[in-house]
Amino acid sequence: MTNSIKPTASALGLDVGTSRIVAAQRLDKTTQYQTQLNAFVTLPFSKLTQGVLKKERIPHLADGSEITVYGDESERFANLFHAETRRPMLRGVLNAEESNSLRIVRDIVSLLTSDSPGQGQKLCFSVPAAPLGATEEVNAHESALKRMLCDLGYDASSISEGLAVVYGELENSNYTGVGVSCGGGLCNVCFSYLSVPVFSFSIGKAGDFIDASVANLRGEPATRIRTIKEEAFHLNGHFANKIHEALNTYYEDMIQSLVAAIRDAFASAQNMPKLSRPIPLVLSGGCVLAPGFRDRFEKILRETELPVAISEIRLGASPQHSTARGALVAALSEI
Amino acid sequence: MQVRYIALRLVEWRAAWFSDPVERLRFLRHKRRVPIRWTGRAPVIFFAVALASVSVALVRPVWRTGPASTMSQPTPRPLTSTAASQPGRIWLVESNDHFDLYSNGLRVENRFAVATKGRAYLVLPRKGLDSQPARLRFDPAGIVFHTTESHIAPFEEAQNSTLRRAGEGLLEFVNRNRSYHFVIDRFGRVFRIVQESDYANHAGHSVWADDAWVYVNLNQSFFGVAFEAKSRPDEIGLPANAAQIHAARTLTDMLRSRYNIPAGNCVAHAQVSVNPDNLRAGYHTDWAGYLPFRELGLCNNYPRPLPSILLFGFSADSLLADDSNSNLRPALEAAESELRQQAAARQMPLDQYREILQRKYREATRAVRSTGALEEINE
Repeated sequence: MTNSIKPTASALGLDVGTSRIVAAQRLDKTTQYQTQLNAFVTLPFSKLTQGVLKKERIPHLADGSEITVYGDESERFANLFHAETRRPMLRGVLNAEESNSLRIVRDIVSLLTSDSPGQGQKLCFSVPAAPLGATEEVNAHESALKRMLCDLGYDASSISEGLAVVYGELENSNYTGVGVSCGGGLCNVCFSYLSVPVFSFSIGKAGDFIDASVANLRGEPATRIRTIKEEAFHLNGHFANKIHEALNTYYEDMIQSLVAAIRDAFASAQNMPKLSRPIPLVLSGGCVLAPGFRDRFEKILRETELPVAISEIRLGASPQHSTARGALVAALSEI
Repeated sequence: MQVRYIALRLVEWRAAWFSDPVERLRFLRHKRRVPIRWTGRAPVIFFAVALASVSVALVRPVWRTGPASTMSQPTPRPLTSTAASQPGRIWLVESNDHFDLYSNGLRVENRFAVATKGRAYLVLPRKGLDSQPARLRFDPAGIVFHTTESHIAPFEEAQNSTLRRAGEGLLEFVNRNRSYHFVIDRFGRVFRIVQESDYANHAGHSVWADDAWVYVNLNQSFFGVAFEAKSRPDEIGLPANAAQIHAARTLTDMLRSRYNIPAGNCVAHAQVSVNPDNLRAGYHTDWAGYLPFRELGLCNNYPRPLPSILLFGFSADSLLADDSNSNLRPALEAAESELRQQAAARQMPLDQYREILQRKYREATRAVRSTGALEEINE
């Protein structure tokens, strides 16, 4: 019953995350991913600087008195000039405090998809689920992104980030289960039954919350905290220093909040399907990569009384790509 | 609501056929073209309602309007008089990649575990076999006990390396062939082969029936539990040792407890095996005698007339009928006797009545296979 796969370069999955943008494309039955930091840094304009950037083929845009370097290279330049990178998105949506945010996101998307420009290509992009009381903000973000992607020539549609995780990771359970994406700006959750979302939500505690909280507590730049978190931190209860101890505290806080929100969502769901078997839960996103995260999450979840039985809690096959993969699967299924 | 539930399960089962995630999602999304309507605690998906009619059509036996459509069925013999009591609750204590430990002491080794496809099968209503629609089911209905009929070395300390080597070879073989759900080796260790949720190739062409339902080809509907043992038709006595019997008891209790399996549906392979080519019962003869039902906490099912004879007109295989040690002999004679009475009650020659029943068997197997539920028939 494995039907032939249609020409698949005609679709694109896009995970538009607060800290990274990931594009997924299927070529010859294998899925390929391209990733860029969703960040930028501004430099004072000079012809010399612009000439160097052009010569080195570093993505940038010159605008008046400033040059903006975006994508992966922004971090290198930030380190070079002892500056903090800036974000075109904040807490999962376009950053209202950055006037150029949509333009930068568009340029990063173009960077990722330069080999396959629009021309009516089907594209599915992720959007966060609404945090309580912030629906309009998410709707505005979704509309802006859709308009921008359509301008680039894509046939664009959106998918909730948590549902994309389900589509990316839970095909073995017929897309029934809980998808969790712990990213930079938000943690997104979706419970899906046979591919139909039953509920989705997001919480504001995620990677940036941890970085900012620890940075505030220890008096260190958030960029340095993020580097320590990504390179040397283990969530195993043993702390090499005070920064690790603080990271552990805020990770714990995030997981507790996430599990409590999942419990409340299940408890308050009005239209729960009658489940014939326990459901799986899959964890994805950059935050879950810390060694020991899954075990800690499972311990806290198992201590919590949920109205549904969970069969397994596992990390996504490639946690940083789960959302993009799911968006690609959704896009392909619509062709 | 039951129809909707079945339809949903059918959708799940059908979706699992798509190995490509995009095709699978496309199928599921296609089935939800109409928005979801939720009522109370249970989901009602309109595609499921639409599909229900399809599923009912699928599971309706094709012999419904056949030549024997007006014939009533033999009265089922109640099981309750001899049924063993259901074991108490048994739960999973510990589970990891290596083993599962249950609260009754059962330890199941997972080293040779393998998956096939999820269990899905049709059952035929025993009352009104020719007039009532079949049902699609996904839960295990019973257990078939087998012997592996593999090489058996003397059970002696000096033979340790041979015993272990033979056991390992057997487990690798049954793993490759997805032959049983569980194998109990000669040291009484229980090995999981095929996952409990999936079908295994253990019963092949086979028939069983309880008070309510008739099961045809039991790979999907019954668990297969094999003792590493060889039948000894020339000798009287158990082919399995005490450690194996003890392990089989804990395993049987666990399966019955977890899946609510009635004792009457725990049977020997010889009781269910049939040969569709010559329409004789008892094609395979493992555990044709001396399956220790009582030691396994079960009622003695040997006296039960074989459903293959009683419902589908099979005749007793000559090998089985001539085996004087066979505990099945009384059951065969009882079934034949009852068949004669039923034919007489219908004022019909026995051969003619048998032919009608055999036609119903062929139509039943055709209906079961037409759903695709039984892709793997282990000869």
